Amino acid sequence: MSAHQTVNIVMIEDDEGHARLIEKNIRRAGVNNPIRHFMEGTAAIQYLFDAPDGPAKNGPALVLLDLNLPDMSGIDILQKMKAQGSALRRTPVVVLTTTDDKVEIERCYDLGANVYITKPVNYETFAQAIRQLGLFLSVIQVPEPELD
Amino acid sequence: MMRSQRRANRAIFLAVAAGFVMLAVAAAAVVWAFQRAQDYSELVAHTIEVEAAVADLNRLNERIETARRGYLLEGDPRFLDTFEATAAEIPGQIQRIAELTADNPEQVKRITDFRGLTDQYLGLMRESIADKQAGGSGVKGASLLDEEDIQVVQRLRDLADEMSLEERRLLIARESDEKRSVYLSTVIAVAAAVTLILVALGTIWATRRTLRALASTGQQLQNLNEDLESAVLERTAELQRANAEIQRFAYIVSHDLRSPLVNVMGFTAELDAAIKPLGELIDKAEEAAPEIVTDETRYAVREDLPEAIGFIRTSTEKMDRLINAILRLSREGRRVLAPEAVDMNALVSSIVDSLQHRIDELGITVEAEPVPTVVTDRLAVEQVLSNLVENAIKYLKPGRPGRITVRGRKNAGRVLIEVEDNGRGIDPKDHERIFDLFRRSGTQDQPGEGIGLAHVRALAYRLGGTISCESALDEGATFRLSLPTALAPQQGSNT
Repeated sequence: MSAHQTVNIVMIEDDEGHARLIEKNIRRAGVNNPIRHFMEGTAAIQYLFDAPDGPAKNGPALVLLDLNLPDMSGIDILQKMKAQGSALRRTPVVVLTTTDDKVEIERCYDLGANVYITKPVNYETFAQAIRQLGLFLSVIQVPEPELD
Repeated sequence: MMRSQRRANRAIFLAVAAGFVMLAVAAAAVVWAFQRAQDYSELVAHTIEVEAAVADLNRLNERIETARRGYLLEGDPRFLDTFEATAAEIPGQIQRIAELTADNPEQVKRITDFRGLTDQYLGLMRESIADKQAGGSGVKGASLLDEEDIQVVQRLRDLADEMSLEERRLLIARESDEKRSVYLSTVIAVAAAVTLILVALGTIWATRRTLRALASTGQQLQNLNEDLESAVLERTAELQRANAEIQRFAYIVSHDLRSPLVNVMGFTAELDAAIKPLGELIDKAEEAAPEIVTDETRYAVREDLPEAIGFIRTSTEKMDRLINAILRLSREGRRVLAPEAVDMNALVSSIVDSLQHRIDELGITVEAEPVPTVVTDRLAVEQVLSNLVENAIKYLKPGRPGRITVRGRKNAGRVLIEVEDNGRGIDPKDHERIFDLFRRSGTQDQPGEGIGLAHVRALAYRLGGTISCESALDEGATFRLSLPTALAPQQGSNT
């Protein structure tokens, strides 16, 4: 595909406040890509894999993933996305969560997470981290999903 | 039950004692009976001796009579020789009997009579011999049978018989005495033996019963012990489960508390950011239309909002530190300890080195005395000691040159490590409190959340140790860490 498609940002985050803060700071970093926000895992998975306008069927995407979700762990979503034969195997996943447990971080990277960011409570640090993430989003090349 | 047991024991003791007394009685009876038997045989021998002596005397009397008659009939002087020889023996023989029967007054009287009669008899016989020698017949009457001496001889014989009879009678009397006493002692011995056997049987029975009771008590004790052990294991497992539960709870709670805190902080920052345009708006409004800006609005934007935001921020920051402390404690509690031989001297000097900058700055003297090697978790014990040393540095008494001593010694399977300072000290009423989470003591002039010592105590407990404090205000403090010499390795992780 030669036409450059817009990269959709899929944010899976159960805390509305966090989601809002993340979005604000991403926008402040000058990233204008569309952001789809999901508050629970089931809807997010459905959109990721099955929705006609979702990443698996349509265009590249980047996933911001929180690990503490009401209906499942973010790790389950990560596992599903990075599984052998998954259409979203190459889709970058940024894990953005409050856990800074070493074991948890290692596990995410082992499963194929591309970036792991701990949400700092100090807002300046947090805002800065998100803005940097925004800058990162504006420069990275996201691969097309493998359409079957 | 105890009392009946004691009574039974006393009964057994008394029975055994009685048994020994019976044994002694039986032995005494046997000895006594034996002695009586010996006495008796001596008496029999005595009687036989007396009888034999009497018989000898009779024989001598017969012989002397025969010699005299022979001489009277034939006039052969050889009969006279025999006569004289026999006459010489007789007094000795009488004397012998007298000695043998000296204890019996009747016999003594008889022997005296005997002696008199013998003298008379011998005199009569000598008269007749002298008569024969002078040429007479030697016989006064018509026949020898009419002679006076016949009567004398008859009386002598009677006396001898009496003496023999008397001895026999005595023997018989003594024999019956003997028999009675032997019978008595036999009865005593038999009774003692029977009692002894009964006591022995009773004692054996009681001993067996006691032994059986002892064995069953031992068995019970062992069962109880095993029960206790399994109860302890069960309780330990329960405690470990409860502890793991608390750790998990602390982890989840503190973790979930952070999420809303991120929002509070984030939106506070947003508010803070909003103050700037608002302030500019107020400025502009004051310039363009001062009448629309009330004092209230001005204060709200310039004073109240920044102040409120400042308080929210410091409070949330503090809350974040507290949550982090809980998180750290719970994480520490879930870490698997790896015991190894830790060279405590090297550890102490590395802690001192890492704090050297502040030590020099404050002019503190640090003395590291030898500390025995401990098998324990290096990281945990390092955290404990460095926390204690840091506290010692932190809470010095202003104006007094600081002096910190670290020392250690072995004590009954444990190692005691002391960190002593001459700092501002801790009020004795706070000695327990300082180890509680978020609790502090004394003037709050140093930064901190009251986490360090709580952490120290949690770590000390995990290492199987204890920590205590000894101090008075203004007189320095000594923190005493007691660790097992060797920490048992842990199995698996509970994370």
